[in-house]
Amino acid sequence: MLGKNKRSIATFSLGLILAMAIYLVPGMTSDAIAKEVFAEQVFAEEAFAKEVMAEEAVEGEGEAEIEWGQDVFYKDWEGNPLKGPVSGFPAPELGESDYNNYEFAPSRMLLWVANQQHLYFGSFVLAVPIFCMIIEFIGIRTKEEDPVMSAKYDRLAHDLMKVSLTAYSWTAILGGILLFTFITLFPGFFKYMAGIFRPVMHVYALMFLAESGVLYVYYYGWDRMSEDKFLKWIHCSLSVLLNLIGTVLMYLANSWATFMQAPGGIDSQGRFLGNIWHVIHSTLWNPVGVHRILGNIVFGGGIVGAYAAYHYLTAKTEEERAHYDWVCYVAMFIAIFGLIPLPFAGYWLMKEVYAFRQQMGITLMGGIMAWLFIIQAVMIGLLFFGANSYLHNGMSRVKGSHRYMKYCKYMILLLICTFTMWMTPHTIVMTPAELKAMGGAQHPVIGHFGVMSAKNTAVNLMITTTILCFLLYQKANKKINVPWATVGNCWISAIFVGAALNIIFLGVYGYFLPANQRVGLSVPQVTTTLTTLFAGTAINISMFKDSESYGDIQWGTQSKVGTYAIFLLAISFTWLMGLMGYIRSAVRLFWHVTEVVRDNSVDAYTLTIGEAGKMLTFNTLFVWTQFVVVFWVGSLTGKKAVAKAPEGVPVPAQQQQ
Amino acid sequence: MLPEQHDILFSFLAIAFALFGIYVFINVIQTSREREGINIKLWGGIFGAFAIGCFLMTVHMFDLVQADQLKFFFSTYILVVFMMLFFWGVFFKSNKIEGQSPPIIRGFFFWTTVSVLLAGYTNWLPQQRSDPPPKAAAVVGDLTMEEFADMGRVIIFGAKQVAGQKSIGKGQCPLCHTFDPGDNMGRCPNLFGVEERSHKRVKEDRYATSPMAIGELEPASGITKGKPAEIPEEYRRQHGPDELVGEDYLRESLMCPTCYVVEGFGKDNDTKSPMPVIVKPPISLSRVEVNAVVAYLQSKDTPGEFASVTVPLPQDDAGNTGGAVAEAPADDEDRPVFVTGKEDIQAMINTLGCPLCHTIPGVEGAVGELGPKLHEKINAPKRIKDPNYKGKATNTREYVRESILNPGAYVVFNEEAGESFPDGLMPTTFSEMLSVQALDKLVDFISQTEPPAGS
Repeated sequence: MLGKNKRSIATFSLGLILAMAIYLVPGMTSDAIAKEVFAEQVFAEEAFAKEVMAEEAVEGEGEAEIEWGQDVFYKDWEGNPLKGPVSGFPAPELGESDYNNYEFAPSRMLLWVANQQHLYFGSFVLAVPIFCMIIEFIGIRTKEEDPVMSAKYDRLAHDLMKVSLTAYSWTAILGGILLFTFITLFPGFFKYMAGIFRPVMHVYALMFLAESGVLYVYYYGWDRMSEDKFLKWIHCSLSVLLNLIGTVLMYLANSWATFMQAPGGIDSQGRFLGNIWHVIHSTLWNPVGVHRILGNIVFGGGIVGAYAAYHYLTAKTEEERAHYDWVCYVAMFIAIFGLIPLPFAGYWLMKEVYAFRQQMGITLMGGIMAWLFIIQAVMIGLLFFGANSYLHNGMSRVKGSHRYMKYCKYMILLLICTFTMWMTPHTIVMTPAELKAMGGAQHPVIGHFGVMSAKNTAVNLMITTTILCFLLYQKANKKINVPWATVGNCWISAIFVGAALNIIFLGVYGYFLPANQRVGLSVPQVTTTLTTLFAGTAINISMFKDSESYGDIQWGTQSKVGTYAIFLLAISFTWLMGLMGYIRSAVRLFWHVTEVVRDNSVDAYTLTIGEAGKMLTFNTLFVWTQFVVVFWVGSLTGKKAVAKAPEGVPVPAQQQQ
Repeated sequence: MLPEQHDILFSFLAIAFALFGIYVFINVIQTSREREGINIKLWGGIFGAFAIGCFLMTVHMFDLVQADQLKFFFSTYILVVFMMLFFWGVFFKSNKIEGQSPPIIRGFFFWTTVSVLLAGYTNWLPQQRSDPPPKAAAVVGDLTMEEFADMGRVIIFGAKQVAGQKSIGKGQCPLCHTFDPGDNMGRCPNLFGVEERSHKRVKEDRYATSPMAIGELEPASGITKGKPAEIPEEYRRQHGPDELVGEDYLRESLMCPTCYVVEGFGKDNDTKSPMPVIVKPPISLSRVEVNAVVAYLQSKDTPGEFASVTVPLPQDDAGNTGGAVAEAPADDEDRPVFVTGKEDIQAMINTLGCPLCHTIPGVEGAVGELGPKLHEKINAPKRIKDPNYKGKATNTREYVRESILNPGAYVVFNEEAGESFPDGLMPTTFSEMLSVQALDKLVDFISQTEPPAGS
């Protein structure tokens, strides 16, 4: 898909899956492992507590010297709150003197900007090493077979790292600004957080040092370590180490945010109960971590894609154009690869939120935050339009694609219909007159599209359409020669038609079921969609055996619409990331730390959607302005000669037969 | 952003357009110098004016506050920028120049347009701002019933309610309930006409039996259904008839949502309400706040008319209506039970809650019947010898200690009922509630309990 032959696609996919596994497995499995470990740990802690209490009772004539508090989240195996020795001060009742502000903007907005900018850059610098690790690995693996292509991969990884290096310093500066914003504008709150997380903050700083060290060795040792095969493997291993340290860094920083949203390891007065792991490993820690890793990959892919798209537009030679067209494709492939599992991580996160406080879940999905989820739906629709537009336009540069191009308009029509269904709200705020005019809170006809049955159907059809589009893209330049071609095509058609009918049937059936049973239908619907993805792709790729090519992909002939589709995806990723971050943070409402430290500042209100939207747009534009500056600074270090591509252009494997 | 502050987005865009004006000026000058036959003074003058204009308008933007900035930006600034773009096009066209706007500029406009459209979309949606609830129900000075009911409205909807906007207060009621006729979001019942319904509901047959009968204890809230006199004292109705009235129904619905579930709005076949107990965390309304909400619910459908309100106005310690109300600190409410052993035995036993289930000779009011009568001086030795006894105790004191710390070690047979007392009913958490000294004291006392003389 990305290189010259079949092996490259297999290696690339394997690389991606391995990388995913490295990152996700610990997060996903840690819950199960943690429960077992937790039971033993709790037992030991309780036994220790009893022992200490008994000793104290004997020694101190019943007067307990150590005070024991009950954890606000952790429970023992009987469901009783876990006890721990009180090891900190109660959460402060913050007053006016605990908040500072400037006249030109509310402190909360300044903190939001500082936080969001740091997160955007942090996300990028954590994502790029993941890409580099995979791309460098592919480069090493293909070196003997195709040295030119291998050099091209290596150069791409190196170039990305160069950009990331400047962004890394920028991230650190933004982190410093964030820290100072906290200390100066929210001193009371920060003092409490620092009291709880003191050791974590120091470990974080040390990990940052380790990350910097490995990063510099990795980047500056690139050329020297490329000279020897063994050293090159060591170099590639450094990227694994770099990613591991980066992940630990992110998880440590996540613990502060997840603690604020759903605290653990403290009692109801906010007093630390002596176990720092409980504070770090609060209930949302794992889902947020996994969600962020995937989000970083998607966001990083979006940035690299936009970077390449910009260079594609400014390229002066055919070779350059072909190169950046190819980079766009690689970046989009990575971004979409991260995007597919992202909703599942989101579901996991929401499940944990509901488990922590149902009230919080309702506030998100049905309360003051509900409209923001409608906006999220619109953004997801935009992403689908962007991805499909890119594929449709990309298809046009593939010889032989004329056979399938005629279907694009129908796919777009289906996308428009399903998108309209997807974004129809269930209820909206209306004046009594409007309510009367419509005859109720729901419109008699389109109101039916506002419920989950319709929405699940719509989104699954959108994903299925995108999968179909991708399969057509894959086979665009192939003349299928396997003897079972007709049977294979029939199977693919049957799978997609069957899937569409099943999804629609389940959606309609949902209207005849009570709400609590209706929710369960989303599982077979999603399963149907995933079946089209896996079964459809498997059959499709199997059919490529012995196929003939109508011609190579004409890299460097990407249409401008397709290039702007990448820009659209990059903007959407950035805006959506800001939106979801805002939702996650704002659901605390008027609490700094949910139900423990109340926000008593003048900014403790929850913004209107419009105010939030303007901030999101500002953050999006501001961060991209910085990215432009960072990329420009990165380009000042001197351009090295681009490795000569085979015949000028790399060609995806499945299009070469 | 506060209304008196600058709008962060449009301030940013103003700066960006000012830089864009300078960029266009430089671009035109450079292009004019590279080519012959272009009137550099004319075009330089035009684009110089645009650049200065953009710069001055940006400076002016910082003299304005949010609403004025928005107005100025869309009514003037954006038009000037479009004019500049138009003249830029004319400049290129008239000099037969193609492709002079670099991708960075086109990208910037694409980026800005999409992002600003997204911001516009969010501003087109219904706007809803939620203010934090007041920290405590501080009632200062004389209150009228109108003010008291309004306090209830603030608890429900928040302090600042803007026309056409929906907001949510400390009680978080509008998350699930609707209040206008015909409105229904499907989560919880519409509360329009709830005052009238409340009087009828307490007389309905369904209320008496579903999902639990009147007189039954609802465990999650600790409220006995349909028994206003048994409501915790701090929340209890203070006057009025003994029988159930509408006010009781409203209060009970807040404090024990599962005591009655409106048809179609509950979980598990309408036996469980999804609503949280409003007097417990995270909402934790105080007595005054609960009464204020009830007052609002009783009066909201008859604006300006408060005759239907039956809750009393808050009183101060001296009993003055409308005086400052000092809410008792709620700190102790959730503090775990713990006895040190310094208390007298009666207080200890009451604190631990033993009288709820056991009849204990020598302890006043300890006449519970859910568990066996504590006549351990004579019963314990018998039970140790019982073949069914699987515990480790060898004497009365050890048996009593074991029964307190590990109640499941031996389940006593209830001879009156012909079956064992229910296993698992007695809490297993006494080890956490008792110091060693307290446990010894309790064991000493219970080991000596025996039936009263003559019984």
